[in-house]
Amino acid sequence: MLRITLASVAVLVALALALGPLADAQQAAPPPWKQGQPSNMADSTLAPIAQPPAPKAAGEIPVDKIKVPAGFKVSLWAHGINNAREMVWGDKGTLFVSSRVAGNVYALVDKGDSREVKVIAKGLNLPNGIAFKNGTLYIAEVSRITKMVGIEDKLDNPPAMEVVYDILPRDLPHGWKHLAFGPDGKLYFNIGAPCNICVPPDTHANLSRVNPDGTGFEYVAHGVRNSVGFDWHPISKRLYFTTHARDWMGDDSPSDRFDVVMRKGQHFGYPYCHAGDMLDPEFGKGKSCNDYVKPILKTGPHVAGNGVEFYTGSQFPAEYQNRAFLAQRGSWNRSKKIGFRVMMVTIDAKGGVAKYEPFAEGWLQGDEIWGRPVYTRTMKDGSLLIADDYAGAIYRVSYSR
Amino acid sequence: MTTGAPAPTADLEAGQRKSEPCKACHGADGNATIPGTPSLAGQPVFFTHWQLIKFRDGRRKDPQMTPFAANLSDTDMADLAAYYAAQRPQPRPAVTDPAKVEVGRQLASQHHCVSCHRPGLTGHEQIPRLAGQDLAYLVKLLRGFKAQTAGDLDGTMTTAAQPLSEADIENLSHYMAALPPVPAPPR
Repeated sequence: MLRITLASVAVLVALALALGPLADAQQAAPPPWKQGQPSNMADSTLAPIAQPPAPKAAGEIPVDKIKVPAGFKVSLWAHGINNAREMVWGDKGTLFVSSRVAGNVYALVDKGDSREVKVIAKGLNLPNGIAFKNGTLYIAEVSRITKMVGIEDKLDNPPAMEVVYDILPRDLPHGWKHLAFGPDGKLYFNIGAPCNICVPPDTHANLSRVNPDGTGFEYVAHGVRNSVGFDWHPISKRLYFTTHARDWMGDDSPSDRFDVVMRKGQHFGYPYCHAGDMLDPEFGKGKSCNDYVKPILKTGPHVAGNGVEFYTGSQFPAEYQNRAFLAQRGSWNRSKKIGFRVMMVTIDAKGGVAKYEPFAEGWLQGDEIWGRPVYTRTMKDGSLLIADDYAGAIYRVSYSR
Repeated sequence: MTTGAPAPTADLEAGQRKSEPCKACHGADGNATIPGTPSLAGQPVFFTHWQLIKFRDGRRKDPQMTPFAANLSDTDMADLAAYYAAQRPQPRPAVTDPAKVEVGRQLASQHHCVSCHRPGLTGHEQIPRLAGQDLAYLVKLLRGFKAQTAGDLDGTMTTAAQPLSEADIENLSHYMAALPPVPAPPR
């Protein structure tokens, strides 16, 4: 008995010694974009599309390739804006433009035939989110929201960035934010999942809001992987948002989504259920999609929906009133590219989706891209601006009957 | 018509001219010899250009590089990046320890370095070639990412460096420095 026990111990020790180096050789976490890739996709060459370090020159931007419905026309409104992302209007007609990896915030001054581009902040941490109210520009970086008071009078000598709220998570994956004022006067933003697919901490994968003085932080929606675009319906005042779905589940699944928040605290499924009807192969075990809110629209796999904007301008035909423009930056985790377009959604009387159709496309030619539409912003005259972060340009779509 | 910063169309000859002040540290053709100073020859265009932007904007800091980058225009950066990308990288005369190289090889696999830096660690697009880079520079940069002071473009390297021990950094750097300096594929 003793001998057997000792022998067993010896075997165990030998096993432990043999396994030691294996245990040490445990895989570290892959880079965030690669996380969640199953072993049968290990040889995939798919990787995120590199952001060019410089904007394209006007002559390198083939605006005529952008197709829009009959009666509409597209022009190059501004260029030379490295990594141009969100756009918001100041009270005095300045267009503020954000960027992501370029770390800049810009002010565009309309000179009639041309636009002057001024850098009003640089070296920021993925400053994607910008909002404007009562003369003040609000900027959302990864872990903080700041403001520049009276900025429009000081474009050449910008005021200091005052902290509004700076205790947000510091995680960089999906850490950049969309920022917008809701009808309730609160600042809304996303806190994305810090991964492709994982059970996120309770503090992540949500839509949140805070008062403009930094008080009253609260979560609005849960189970949202990463939403960097939302807007409020002009009549119902409900919050509609796009979400980027997880990667590495194949070319055609899961679909990205377009959702509406019906009440505070709803859970939209991540990481357990995707697109309302597809359990996650790993995290969906023991879960039911019926326990989570289903999307009102599946926008397509990997389309990467960013900007959401309901149209309330006076220029486009009557049927465009209250339609939502969805800017789709386009896929990387798909063997054939998809997205790279602006879609439009007609909302029905019940708040659901009546129609989903293209509005502007052509940045994707075959499987080659020359630009990536990322956000829209209606002009005072009712025409629509589209920002392209890849070409560093802004296009203007106008209509005349 | 619109105005704005004219986007640069890179000019290699202009890049060579503009690289005069860089030669003292980075070498005549972007192959540096000073320990701690990176070679730029054969680095991807996007990589060098983005690093210059980061130095100019203060997101990457270095007592020597920061003043040089402060006054560069977007065109200067594009020309310099194109010039260095076109140069043939030479091996650095680093003394690497074969035992550390071997441990580093395993670490590189465990930490998925090739996911972004590509097989052979040649780099591509905005991601640098590490193969055959200067040993002391690699150690310095990895320590910076670990300390969250190196300021990368999108956080990928800062995240990746967090689990690394000082010994891991040493071993990984020996492995990368010992690889042949194959240039990144052209865009």
